[in-house]
Formats: sequence, structure tokens, C-alpha cells
Amino acid sequence: MNAFFSGASLRRLRVMTHKELLQLFRDVALMVFFLYAFTGDIYIAASGVSMQLKNAAIATLDGDHSLASRELASRFQPPYFQAAGSAGTPQQAIRHLDDGDVMAVLDIPPRFGERLARGEQVAVQLQVDTSNSVLGFLASSYGAQIVGRYGLEVAALREGLGSGGISGPVIQADTRIWYNPNQNDAWFMGISELLTVITLFAILLPAAAMVREKERGTIEQLMVTPLSAFQILFPKVIAMTLVILAGTAIALFGVLGPGFDLPMRGSLVLFFLITALYVFTTAGLGLLAATVARNLAQVGMLTVVILMPMLLLSGAWTPIEAMPEWMRILAWISPLHYFLDAAYGILLKGTGMDLLWDSVLAMGLLGVVVFGAGMGRFGRQFG
Amino acid sequence: MDTPAIRVEGFTKRYGKRVAADGLSLTVQAGEIYGLVGADGAGKSSLMKAVAGVLAFDAGTVEVFGTRVDSERSAEQVKRRIGFLPQGLGLNLYPDLSIEENVDFFGRLRGVPAAELLERKRQLLEMTRLDSFRARPMRQLSGGMKQKLGLVCTLIHEPDLVILDEPTTGVDPVSRRDFWAILGKLLEEKGVTALVSTAYLDEADRFHRVSLFHEGKVMGEGTPAELVATVPGTLALFRAEPQAEALPRLKAAFPQTEAMGAWLRVFAEGLDAPRAREAVDKALAGIPPTDWFAREPELEDVFVAMLRQRGAKLESAFPADSRVPAASTDLAIEARGLTRLFGDFRAADAVSFSVPQGEIFGLLGANGAGKTTVIKMLTGILKPSSGEGRVAGADMRSAGLAIKERIGYMSQAFSLYHDLSVIENIRLYAGIYGLDGRQAQRRSDWVIGMAGLAGFENDAAGRLPMGLRQRLALGCALVHEPRVLFLDEPTSGVDPIGRRMFWDILFHLSRREGVAILVTTHYMSEAEHCDHLALMYAGRVVADASPEAMKAEVSAESGQLLELRVDRPVPAQAALRAAGFASATLHGRAVHLLSRDAAGDLARLPGKLAEAGITVQSATLRPLSMEDVFVQRITALEAADRKAS
Repeated sequence: MNAFFSGASLRRLRVMTHKELLQLFRDVALMVFFLYAFTGDIYIAASGVSMQLKNAAIATLDGDHSLASRELASRFQPPYFQAAGSAGTPQQAIRHLDDGDVMAVLDIPPRFGERLARGEQVAVQLQVDTSNSVLGFLASSYGAQIVGRYGLEVAALREGLGSGGISGPVIQADTRIWYNPNQNDAWFMGISELLTVITLFAILLPAAAMVREKERGTIEQLMVTPLSAFQILFPKVIAMTLVILAGTAIALFGVLGPGFDLPMRGSLVLFFLITALYVFTTAGLGLLAATVARNLAQVGMLTVVILMPMLLLSGAWTPIEAMPEWMRILAWISPLHYFLDAAYGILLKGTGMDLLWDSVLAMGLLGVVVFGAGMGRFGRQFG
Repeated sequence: MDTPAIRVEGFTKRYGKRVAADGLSLTVQAGEIYGLVGADGAGKSSLMKAVAGVLAFDAGTVEVFGTRVDSERSAEQVKRRIGFLPQGLGLNLYPDLSIEENVDFFGRLRGVPAAELLERKRQLLEMTRLDSFRARPMRQLSGGMKQKLGLVCTLIHEPDLVILDEPTTGVDPVSRRDFWAILGKLLEEKGVTALVSTAYLDEADRFHRVSLFHEGKVMGEGTPAELVATVPGTLALFRAEPQAEALPRLKAAFPQTEAMGAWLRVFAEGLDAPRAREAVDKALAGIPPTDWFAREPELEDVFVAMLRQRGAKLESAFPADSRVPAASTDLAIEARGLTRLFGDFRAADAVSFSVPQGEIFGLLGANGAGKTTVIKMLTGILKPSSGEGRVAGADMRSAGLAIKERIGYMSQAFSLYHDLSVIENIRLYAGIYGLDGRQAQRRSDWVIGMAGLAGFENDAAGRLPMGLRQRLALGCALVHEPRVLFLDEPTSGVDPIGRRMFWDILFHLSRREGVAILVTTHYMSEAEHCDHLALMYAGRVVADASPEAMKAEVSAESGQLLELRVDRPVPAQAALRAAGFASATLHGRAVHLLSRDAAGDLARLPGKLAEAGITVQSATLRPLSMEDVFVQRITALEAADRKAS
């Protein structure tokens, strides 16, 4: 370990890190992609992608044309729904759904108003396109609520209770929304996208840098110098970590902060430290991939192969609790899972190290194991 | 018949700002084997692609069989009559298809009727001796076999013109000779015109006529003999001791002076043999030359002279502070029974040799003979399966990283960081080798001076011309003043001027600074620069001697080299082979053969060939080249292997 701290060793780490940074900054295409990912891509994700039901187009197949049917149809209003005309025949309605012109069709049977006025049981049908299951689920449940409320009102009127509702003991369900009181999708989607982008580059950049050395043959040149495997690999990780932290800062202070009022409640120093640890952990995966890949194209494919399960297992898209048992176990070895906890915790909840220590520890351990495996494979390949 | 096969006028092609071909003109007559000779990036491939109708160009006209190739449609008209073999070993073939399937594919692609395809395939595979491997997938073929298969696939539709882009690059000398022999025979029999490029200047005499390419321009056109005659002069080969003192004196008088192992090689431009001797004696000022040989220059000497006349500089600004050599007999490199197995395959098999400080040692061999494996074991990149490699006194297997500070290594690909500038590359390696700021400054000044890189400091390494890039890579390998230098195929693709300057530097390093240099090469002309050679075959060292000793040995075994210039070379070769000269090979309009009774055969053979209706224009004795030695040795070994199996 003594040699490690000697002047020459530090100089080696320094010149190698400097070299990695120079090479990265000279790769114009990669830099453009990098800057876009940390700005434009995150902006789009935060502003465009929404898991809320907004202005879903709904067509009415009105077989009744009564006051009651028009009243019901008119209750499908923005912001959730948007009336998209009426369909003449059931076939037409299906075609609208098939074409994706509308998301839902409200089918009101003949004599709907008449039977309702007589107090008979009537049914309306809501056909919903649930290709996107979340939005479809929301549309059908909101639709059911609207229809249900209208039914209640009609029933109440008939019973002579007026539109004031039932007077009597009723349980009031009072939900308080924590951390994201406006249920602002931009925060969730923006952070989620930022973490994805960090993950992507943490795998891609070191892997690309490594495989470029393999392709060019410079790796052999380095192997005959007094550099150890650690001195060859670690500077790549340092350089890429610095660059990714810079990208993260741009995304937070240039996009999510000013553009979407992301609160950033916790310690930013802690957030950046944890991000650095996460990048180190994930960079090890990239280096491991680079020992397998022979060229840049293979690195690209491997990055996708690694990234997709990491995202799925992280809990970014589905809560881990909803996964089958075996996937839950796999999720424990996905570093993104821990990073996600920590990032949402610090930025939205203001959590500190007192609650995050276990995530940080797990991430650190994973990092050491993965980086060690990468060095081991590298050593076997060239040793 | 009077329509030339190819007529090119003012051909210009740019890639962005870079001018690849700058107003090239040439004419190829039907039935000729026409050569484009030049280094990488000289513009050969651009011209060949344009002639084949697969590359749009910026200015000039290209006519093939009288049809102007300037649009898709006109290109389609001549494509039927053309066969094109692009550069790169087997790149146009399908690696997973067998030999036969590849040939069938190209035959059907070209619409050859089934019956004809069968007959042509039989004929071509027989001539190329590939018929016994019909079912073997292409990827399992050797480089030479791939190239022969490429040729078969190019000829399957019986084109009138074949365009072969560097068919012999990366192919070992034996397969290369074989390739030329087959090509000569096929073209003669089928009456095909051929446009062939090569980066090897010593292959120029395989062609009827050649164009010398340099940096997008044609430097000269004509038969090899005509080109050699454009710069009259004498090539003198001799020894003069002490060589390290004789060399600078000669250089002052003759810019084209080279050290070749213990020999000196001087091109005395414009002087006949006696006057060349006088001038050399005068330049040496008291050091007597011994073992004097004077003969006509080779094409490479002439090419370098042409480039010099156009302003190219040969002298490297080698710093004068070079120390006087410390006389040393220490062994710098020692291989003792080095063996490396890859599965069952013995890449290196009990390789032993030793290199003292201050020697240039050449490791020769075909691709796959095990040269690179040996270098990798000696530099510590690869662990030997058994045996020992000692470098600078330490065992490479057990020596720590510290030993690596005494080793310099330059790999085949001149592994520089192309996106870093010249100075950034040098500083990077200075830092890697742990030099402090002051040392790094001193050494980068030295590298820039030595490599002639002044003025290029801030250029990206990837944009340098090949010669400069090569010297920069050498500089980076030398930045920490290693005692031992390993060079793996250092000069592939570099033009002759660049190659000369490179060897000049190596000579200085070995003689002045006592650096031991181990170099692998498949350029046989370069092997002549080495003090000592080891020839590798199938992982083993099969010969280990100085270049002269190797030549003398082959001469003693198989005879001296004769060159017969004849009017009909192909039948002449056949007649000579029938007369018992198995070594007879085609070299353009000449035939080379080995003779045990040189004087007798020189007198006898012209008459004998005249009986067969062949006129011998000249019959001369030529010095054996390293390539002759290589081919002779390896052919014998291959024959022995075949007998054994």
C-alpha cells in the first residue's frame, strides 16, 4: 500500500484521470448526447410524461337522447375527460376506440331517462381502452364515480331529499398528502428520469472508455507500463464520476429547480456524495461489461441489457412490494434500488444519513464487490 | 484492341478537407498487369474504387473499356466486365460459408450458368490448390488461402478487368509469392487485364508497368526498369569499422545512407560504380571500406531520391547529446524455452534466444508463427505456460511493476491516443512512467526533436501522417529512457522516407545509447537492418543467425540467385521448372531462380530457352534478399510438415 501513496503513484492517477477527461470532452457526439440527456431529456420527462388522467377523449353513444342521458354525458368534463362528439352506431364507437381517437365510449341504452324516472334499475356501459393500464384504470374508476354520483343524485331527488345529499352520520375519509402535496408528477418523473440518466452514463461512459482502449490497442501499451490494473481502471471511474456529478448539478439547478420548483429539502452535499458512491458502484458494472465486450457496439447493447433490469428492479416503476418473491430478492442487489430510496428521501422528504445509512452501506458493499470483480476479470484477461 | 482498358485523367478525390487523390492520370493497356505502388493514404484505394465504379469523385475522368464511369448507369454498364477485390483479408467473403459456398454465391450473384459455374469452379479451385478444402468455412482459412479464395470469387464471372486492392498486405512472403504466381498464370491464360495495388515497393517488379503513388500524386509511371533508370546512380554495399563513426561522415556526403546491421548501404546518385567508390573513399576520410559491392539501385532508392528532389527531408534532427556507448556484453533479453499454449495450440514452443545490450534483433515469421505471442510474454502482457523470459536481468513472471520502467514497447497499431494532441500523448506517458515535471519537460523536448515533430505539438495524434505518427509512438515508448525496446511490426503502412528515418533512429539508439531492440516484422527488406535474426515457424525458432549468415547458408544449400529477363515470362517459368529449377518464380517480365552453378547456368540457359522459342533479353546474378531466404526456408519446412502428416 506504500507505493500507492508515493508521489509517482499519485501522479499516475492524476495524469490518467486528466487523460480520461480530455478524451471525453473531445468526443463531441458523446458530449452532445450527455448534455441533452441531463437537460432536454429531463425537462421533457418532467413536463410531458404524466401518470394522471388528463383530457381523456370520450365519445357518447347515446341511444336515448333524453334530458337524463344528456345530463349524464355532460358530466364527463375536463380536466379528466374531454367530450369528443357522439358515435352514431356501436360499430362506429368500436372503430373510434380501435383507431385510438377516443379513450372511452359511454354507451347509454334507449329509454334510459324514462326508466330512471320510473325508478327502475338501468345500466350504462363504459368501454375503456386500457392499453395503458394505469390510465385505463383511472378512466374507468373516475367514470364509475361520475355515473355513481349521478345515480345517487337522481335517487335522492326521487326520495325527495333534494340535491343537498343525505343528512346523517357519514364517514368523511380525509386524506393528507405528504412530501408532494400537489401530487406533482413533474417531481417524481423528473427525479426518476435523472436517476435513469445517471445510471445510463455511469455504465456507458467507463465501458466506452475502456473498450475504446481495447479497440485501439492502447490497453496493451498501458499493460507494459508500470501501471497496476487499479491505476488503469480507477481513473476512468474518477473522471466519469466527476462528469456525471456535473451533469447532475446541471439537471438539478438548471432544469428541475428553476423549471419545476423541486423542493430539495435535504442536504445537497449528502445527495452528491451518495450520487458519487452510486456512480462508482454502477461504473464497476460498466467496466465489467467492457471486459466482455469487444467493441463499442457491443458496449451499447450490454448497457441496455444491464440498464433495463436495473430499472425494472429498482422500484422506480413499480413498488418492490408488488413484485413476485424472486424479483424482490434480485432487487436487493440492484444498486439503483438503494439510490432511489436515498434520492427521493433527500430531495423530497429531507431525510438525513440517520435513516439512509443502511442504503449507503449496501451500495458501498455492492460497489466494492462489482469493482473488484471488474479488476479481477481485467487482470485475467491481460495478466 | 487500341482502346485502353483504363484511362484516368486528372482524377481528384477529397474526403472533407483531406485530398486523397490530386489530379492523377494513368493509362492501362489491355492485357497488362498494372501496379499502383505506395504507402497507406497515398490515394491508391480511392482510384481503384472509382475505376470499379463504387466511388464518386470530385474531378477528372475515368474511362473503363472506353466507357466513361461518371454515373450509376454508366458504372453498371462496365461492372459486368470487372472483378473487384477490396482491401482487407477476406473482407468481401462470408466467414461462415465454406469455400465452395462462397464461390457458388459469387457465381450465382454474377449470373453464371450452372454448368459453366461447375467447370470454372473446378478449374479455379484446382489452380489455387483450394480444391481439397472445399467444405472448410472461410473463417478457418489462413491469410494466404483467404486471399486466394477472394481471387477465385473475383474471377468466377470471367471479367475482362480485375481490380485487386492490396491483395498481399498482411500475407506472409511464402503465400505472397504463391499468390503472384497464381495471379500471373490466371491472367495470362484468360487474357485478363489487372490493376493491382501494393504497399511493398519490392513487389513492383511483379508488374508490367507501375505508377508510384505518394500523398495523392503519381511520382512516376513506367516499367520498373524504366523507373529505376529515371534516377541514375550506384548502390554501394560495404562495411566500414567503426560503423558509428563512418555513418555520419557518409551521411554528410550522401543523404541516402543507411546502416543495415553491420553493413552500410549508400545510394550514390548520378555516379557510376568507380566514381561512387572514389566519392565514398573521400567521404569516409581514412576509414577503409571493406567487402565492397556496387550495383544498380532498387526502386525504393529511386523512389526516395524522387521524393527528396521534391523537397522531402531525410535527416532527423537527432539530438547531439547522445552519450558514448557504454561497451556492454550484458544480456538485455533472454528467452529460455518460452512456451505458451492456447488450449491445445502451441502459439510459442520452447522459444530460446538472447539479445545483448546495443543489438537490433529481428524476429521474423508469417502471421501466426508466434512472434507477437513471444513479445507479449517478454513484456509481461501474457504469462508463459512454461519457460522463462528474462528482460533487463529480471524474470518477467515474477518481476514486479518496477521492471516495466526499464522496458519500452510499441505495438502494431502505434497505440497512441488519437484524440489527444502530440504533446498530451507525450506528457501522458511521461506521467505514467512517473517522471516529475522537469524530467517530463526535458524528455518531451527530446521526443519532439528526435521525431521531427516541431510545429505539430498541438495537432491531434490521429491527424498526423503515418510516418510522424509512428515516430511519435516510438517517442512515447522511449520517454522514460528504457534500456530495452520492443517493437511489434512497427513500420506497416509507412512510406519509404518515414521508414528510413525510423530505422535511422533505431540505429542511433542501439549504437549510441546501447539500447537493446527487439523488432518483429514481416517486411523482409527491413529484416536486413537487423544485427541478428530469429526465424519463427509454427511457434518454433527454426533459424537464429545474422542476415548474412542466413543468406550464405541458403546460398550454400540451394545456390545463387539468377534473374532472366525474357519476352514471355510465363512459358519461360514453366520451361525452367520442367528443366529442374523448382525455385523459378515470376517477377513481372523476369524469372528468378536459384542455381548451384551460377556461371554455367548464366551461359547455358539463354540457349536452352531459345529452343522453347523464348528470347532471353538479359541474364544476371542478383544478391539474395531476405525474402528469398525466408521463402526458401519456410517452403522446405512446409514440405517437411506435409510429408510428416
